[in-house]
Amino acid sequence: MSIEATPKGSMGVAMKRKEDPRFLQGKGNYVDDLSFPGMLHMAIVRSPYPHAEIVNIDGSAALKVPGVKAVITGKDLEAAGLGWLPTFHGYDKQMVLAIGKVLFQYQEVAAVFAESRAAAADGAEAVEVEYKPLPVVADPFVAKQDEVLLRPDREAKTNHIYHWEVGDKDKTAQALGAAEKVIKQRIWFPRCHPAPLEPCGCVAQFDTMGRLTFHVTSQAPHVYRTAITIVTGIPEDKIRVISPDIGGGFGNKVPVYPGYVCAIVGALKLGRPVKWIESRTENLTSTGFARDYHMDVEIGARADGTVTALRVSTTADHGAFDAAADPTKYPAGMFGVVTGSYTFPVAHAEVDAYFTNKAPGGIAYRCSFRVTEASYAIERGMDILADELGMDPVELRRKNFVRKDQFPYASALGFTYDSGDYHRTLDVALEKIGYQALLKQQAEKRAKGELMGIGFSTFTEVVGAGPSKHFDILGIKMFDSAEIRIHPTGSGIVRAGTKSQGQGHETTWAQIVAEELGLDPQNIMVEEGDTDTAPYGLGTYASRSTPVAGAAIAMAARRIRERARKIAAHLMEVGEGDVEWKDYKFQVKGVPAKSVTMKEVAFAAYTNPGQNEPGLEATQYYDPPNMTFPHGAYVAVVDVDRETGEVKVRRFLAVDDCGTVINPLIVEGQIHGGLTEGFAIAFMQEIQYDKDGNNLNTNFTDYLVPTSLESPKWETANTVTPSPHHPIGAKGVGESPNVGSPAAFVNAVIDALSPFGVRHIDMPITRDKVWRAIRDSDPAKG
Amino acid sequence: MNLQYSGEEIIAADKAAVWKAITDPEWVGRCIPEVVDVTVRDPTHFDAVAKVGVGPVRGNFKFRFELVPGASGDRMDMKISGGGFGSAVDLTAGADVSDAGGGQTKLSWSGQAVARGPVAAVGGRVLDAQAQKLISQTFANVRERLSRR
Repeated sequence: MSIEATPKGSMGVAMKRKEDPRFLQGKGNYVDDLSFPGMLHMAIVRSPYPHAEIVNIDGSAALKVPGVKAVITGKDLEAAGLGWLPTFHGYDKQMVLAIGKVLFQYQEVAAVFAESRAAAADGAEAVEVEYKPLPVVADPFVAKQDEVLLRPDREAKTNHIYHWEVGDKDKTAQALGAAEKVIKQRIWFPRCHPAPLEPCGCVAQFDTMGRLTFHVTSQAPHVYRTAITIVTGIPEDKIRVISPDIGGGFGNKVPVYPGYVCAIVGALKLGRPVKWIESRTENLTSTGFARDYHMDVEIGARADGTVTALRVSTTADHGAFDAAADPTKYPAGMFGVVTGSYTFPVAHAEVDAYFTNKAPGGIAYRCSFRVTEASYAIERGMDILADELGMDPVELRRKNFVRKDQFPYASALGFTYDSGDYHRTLDVALEKIGYQALLKQQAEKRAKGELMGIGFSTFTEVVGAGPSKHFDILGIKMFDSAEIRIHPTGSGIVRAGTKSQGQGHETTWAQIVAEELGLDPQNIMVEEGDTDTAPYGLGTYASRSTPVAGAAIAMAARRIRERARKIAAHLMEVGEGDVEWKDYKFQVKGVPAKSVTMKEVAFAAYTNPGQNEPGLEATQYYDPPNMTFPHGAYVAVVDVDRETGEVKVRRFLAVDDCGTVINPLIVEGQIHGGLTEGFAIAFMQEIQYDKDGNNLNTNFTDYLVPTSLESPKWETANTVTPSPHHPIGAKGVGESPNVGSPAAFVNAVIDALSPFGVRHIDMPITRDKVWRAIRDSDPAKG
Repeated sequence: MNLQYSGEEIIAADKAAVWKAITDPEWVGRCIPEVVDVTVRDPTHFDAVAKVGVGPVRGNFKFRFELVPGASGDRMDMKISGGGFGSAVDLTAGADVSDAGGGQTKLSWSGQAVARGPVAAVGGRVLDAQAQKLISQTFANVRERLSRR
């Protein structure tokens, strides 16, 4: 049961989401709901070949299909200077439509425009493309050998994209050499896909004055506007980008995709609006995938379990283009958080990325740029270390945690962790899950030959990009913004540079404003996603909305409060210095009876402002001084059927610490969603390619999305360690469950299989992998 | 995805009659199961449109055929490439033609298919059986049509 927030206190209230009545009644407004007079539809011709020369493209038969108006190819775009678009990462470019050759299966080859969606699809089928197959490289370790060069368009004649490293290589090597115990494990985080239920799409239309209105499924509409200018040369004032309701993004809707450029070109060329909505298969096969990191993890430790060094060497598969959408200076994102929650005195991490004939991406799927990979690597590594030392994994973690009194904590790989209380969060988890009783039960079951596992993940995230001195996308600094207007009768509107895709901004942003100004959150409207009205911001991904825009909103509200204080002083006929903000109203210091509410001040701002500037509004751009570092302690309890390999998740507890909680109901919902995604990644999801470069998971019968029937019952709890630098102490939470949970699931399964000496199984942990692990195990142990 | 098949047909017709038929592109084209259209381009090349259904992928596929008859008259090779619905299929098939005695002829055939795109994505579950059916049915049709004469 939720509690409604009131003007007297909105922070921490489990208020029901304001947007839900709209969604629950089917009244959301998504891109595919839009229809405009004369609108054409676009379909894309895609390559069945992962690597092939394009010998010829013949669109003549397509043009004879009733309703088809035009066919464009890469050569057409190249002639118009639109052949390539820059990737957000900034160091590579991507073909809009294939020019000369195709580099991955399902790559965009031609675009067909027609009067209906069906005619466009028929037209796309009628386009005849002649290919000459080329050797396929579907494995980064093969790409490494440079025997087949995939990107001759690039200056460097190699498939190697970049080498990135952080930390002290020599000291780490020395420490590992001197360690009493060293574990080493290759850990692969497989290629997965965010698979938002609403795929990507857009409608491009030019008005009679040549101004483009572009409705699009974008998590970052302002960046899109700038990117469209960079690609097309259309001046930014002649572009309006609108992101309407979005049916899930999870990082998949951050990059600019070729289909968007084609739709804009079609609308310009044909003088009519053009809609493009991709299919499920197109979404899974051509838009931003996540992970595909092969990580060699080495941990050095003393015999008592004290960790002394960490080294991680990663081979990253980026696909055909480097479209990872990471901040410019961080090609491997925030992978440096791989030291996790532990006090490694030295560490070294390096990532080498390669092109392959696979779809481009490496986007931040519900994580802050490669944080999930890092978290998974260290949390698996710590379990393997505990196993080899014969220690309880809980005790190993506790022994090596950063202590509360060590914050702000400078990690060996360059981050300054803002705050945390790892011991307390773990203690809450142990108590709530009943760890000692579970251990006893596990021992009893093992004695009977039954397989039960308990898995932990005590992760630390780094979110909220970010400080502009470090982070930018396409050169644009990663600040964010808010604009608040309070109307004469005490209601208001807040606009931000973010864009909700289900996170509940319409509610949480209203709660922040309501809390700061003593107003009713029900009467604070939130508007995002329209570049004509919202202030410029970098959008919603990487758990940055609350850490960055949420801070801007609080600070803009405080600016309003300062302006309101002057008007309150005028109304109460006292000096401004005699007015204080207390109990959600202005009152004369020491005279609580003499007070005015924000509502009264708002009315006066428009009717009787005195000598003060009329009106009551403020804009705030916020450049955070540091990232925020949410953390959590997750516990999975599983039972494994030794005959079939089936894993049943009996319990899962997530104890999160995301700093100050704005709305516990929304936080819990976010955690449930992320845990379900983490569960899917751990047990059922993978974008697989065969050695010929065929994508084998092109729809929801092959790429599985769990429903409530498959999902475990989630148990949640929280601790609160506010961020010291955030105006309201909040840290962001949406991604923690996806970041933290995969390791807990896998650790639990490996724990269950420990009687067989099984050390590691790569995700997804399907029943056949478990069955094989048992079959292939040491019979003496089984 | 690479798939390999082989089989054997005993045809109630003599070797010369079989050889004459299988070197005729129009005749071979009509042996493809569910063929919709055959267009002969020259004595060794023809295009064919056939209905193909692999799991959820159904519709007309266009194929280009090249017949490569052996000089000695006892082997016929075929190269087939085509596709539809965003999929590409490349096949090679070959048959040894030999006298089986009693006025009968033996076709020992083998084939190999490489599929790409949505067709390949449905994978071994469906594609294997379908591709085998496509190739084996073609040779079965050769037998049936010749044996009926």
